[in-house]
Amino acid sequence: MKTRQQYLPIELARAGMLLCEPVQVVEHGLVSMTLPASHVLTQESLNQLVAHHAEFIEVAVPDERSDEQIAVDAALSARRVMEIFSAADLTDPNMAAFFDLVLCYRSK
Amino acid sequence: MLTLPKAMVSRDIVIASSRTLPSFPSVVNRILSTLDDVDAHFDVLVQAVNRDPVISARVVSLANTAALRGMRAAAVVDIASAISLIGITRLRHITLISSLNTFFNGVARQGLPSFYWQHSMAAGICCEELELYADAPASLSEALLAGLLHDIGQLWLHCVYPDQTQHCQIQARQGAVDIEQLEQESFGVHHGTIGAWLAEHWSLPAAVVAAIEGHHNPEKQVNNPLTALVHVAEVISNALDLVGSGGNKVTFLSSAACQLLGLTWTDDVRALFGRIEARASHANAFFADAP
Repeated sequence: MKTRQQYLPIELARAGMLLCEPVQVVEHGLVSMTLPASHVLTQESLNQLVAHHAEFIEVAVPDERSDEQIAVDAALSARRVMEIFSAADLTDPNMAAFFDLVLCYRSK
Repeated sequence: MLTLPKAMVSRDIVIASSRTLPSFPSVVNRILSTLDDVDAHFDVLVQAVNRDPVISARVVSLANTAALRGMRAAAVVDIASAISLIGITRLRHITLISSLNTFFNGVARQGLPSFYWQHSMAAGICCEELELYADAPASLSEALLAGLLHDIGQLWLHCVYPDQTQHCQIQARQGAVDIEQLEQESFGVHHGTIGAWLAEHWSLPAAVVAAIEGHHNPEKQVNNPLTALVHVAEVISNALDLVGSGGNKVTFLSSAACQLLGLTWTDDVRALFGRIEARASHANAFFADAP
């Protein structure tokens, strides 16, 4: 099954979700808890994350859209990004790099 | 084209009018002044929760969300347990945002568009996340506060000169002229300066005052990372379309501000965008709901 990566507040995380990136909880400047990427959340690991006041995690969630729908969504998103940047000076290298990144982020 | 009478806004006019607004929440200054003392800071936050039923309800509500309740058999009903569950960082976050939300609502009785507050909250969250990502030498609370208040001058303009302000905003959306320039022509000053006068009047930290004043033109404040932070945060907030007013535009991104924060637009920033988007969406739902 296709998946897409998504950031979730810890309150919405559920046991069985797959971590896409390592979690490193820092409290008072010290690393208090780590979990590796590809870890499948259990109720126990969720409880630990909550106890260490983790706020957000990146998980893989099922993507049930068809390939056609994914392409349509990406095109709509790209059009909206171009509207937002329509008055930006894209000959400025800093602005151009920022625009490319936003466009790439929205197209996924 | 419709021409509205021009008004010359001065610092004295802004401060005099601010006396008709609700009191600026004193807990904000108390939080900022106790940041270096963990015990005093915790006491200030607990007092704020105990005094304000809206904050109390939000703290208990968050503690009772599904994942947090997974640790306990019974619902959390007392404030002390709720605070220990959610942690001091989120308690500070809820207290600052709730206090300013109440203040904004009090100021904007004339039916200000809801996206005004949502934009402010999104910018505040962007500032916090950017501060963490860029490791900018600014405190998280100051970053959040500067983001929340960066357009406070526009709120004042909306309240005092609603027609002219709306006219400026419509023109800015339609044309290529910056809102700052339009406001300067209509009022003699722009919303950044008005916001800075208000922030100074409320005794907010100098760095926050400067960031509010310079957020559209951070290149004049190369030594204040908070100004760079607010500028870039607002640009990201608009670029990601975090608040669906349909009028979001990116027109200027200061290279000097990006350089000051050590930002390069590589694929690493994708994670920053993801966190900002998730937090802004969650915060909009959390703070919009009646607790």
